[in-house]
Amino acid sequence: MPVTLPTTLDSDLALAQAVVARDRKAAAEFVQTHSDPLYRYVRSRLQPRFEFVDDIVQEVFLTAWKSLPRYRGEAPLRSWLLGIARHKVEDHYRERLRNLPLPDDAEDTLPLSGPDLDATLDQARAQQAAGKILTALPEVYRLVLLWRYWEHRSAEEMAERTGKTPKAIERLLARARQEFRVLWLTPSV
Amino acid sequence: MNDDLWLEQLADMPLEESILAPSCLKSRVYSALIVAAEAEGPLLPLTDTKQAGRGLCVFEHLVQILPSPDAVQSFQYCKICHARVLGERVEKAPIFWPCCPYSEFQNR
Repeated sequence: MPVTLPTTLDSDLALAQAVVARDRKAAAEFVQTHSDPLYRYVRSRLQPRFEFVDDIVQEVFLTAWKSLPRYRGEAPLRSWLLGIARHKVEDHYRERLRNLPLPDDAEDTLPLSGPDLDATLDQARAQQAAGKILTALPEVYRLVLLWRYWEHRSAEEMAERTGKTPKAIERLLARARQEFRVLWLTPSV
Repeated sequence: MNDDLWLEQLADMPLEESILAPSCLKSRVYSALIVAAEAEGPLLPLTDTKQAGRGLCVFEHLVQILPSPDAVQSFQYCKICHARVLGERVEKAPIFWPCCPYSEFQNR
């Protein structure tokens, strides 16, 4: 007789249902199981403004808690939570970009040719270097790069959500890429 | 390689697994979830939690074995426990009670 083992989705759904039933220990398991990946994700997307990370992680959990009755176990709970986190991160980008002054129109940017990533650094060092450069960039450049490349949003989507024109976002991205590349090629950074 | 592709590759690198959420954050999130849950209605009685296979701390166990009404069984005893206070404020807090969420949140 074939034995059916519970899948991750089954256990995710069972945990979600227990949290919805207001089982306090299930709520603790929910936090314990999912806080590390959520924290890593939010932290990576907000670098270096780590002061916002805790509040956003808490908001993600509270929003998730309200939405848990609608969770049907069709996707892993972690992915479902990361989807909520992504919305919160993008809300943060949108708010910041709406309130930050954009730099003057960019002059012509340098030719678009980035360094060869494989040839320059191993993965861990590349990630570390990227983090340092993002930290050193003006906030407005950092936000558009994170939003465009780390969150894979198009310039049009970013423009729509910030109330700016696609052309303004494209110009901003061009300058941000240029600044990023200059810092990447600067040995001291 | 153009800048677009180069930045996409950089952004797609996996996140560093060694970074953990601070235990104080986990503690505060848990406390906030319980407050939100209590606003919706009473918590599941401790007896039901135990029957579902989840462990109780020593204080909850004492309450659970007493002949007590649901209101007593549903009370969140962490609210009046030093473990919560320490857990929300101190990283690597000296809390070692078995089945205590605030103890389990510690990154030891």
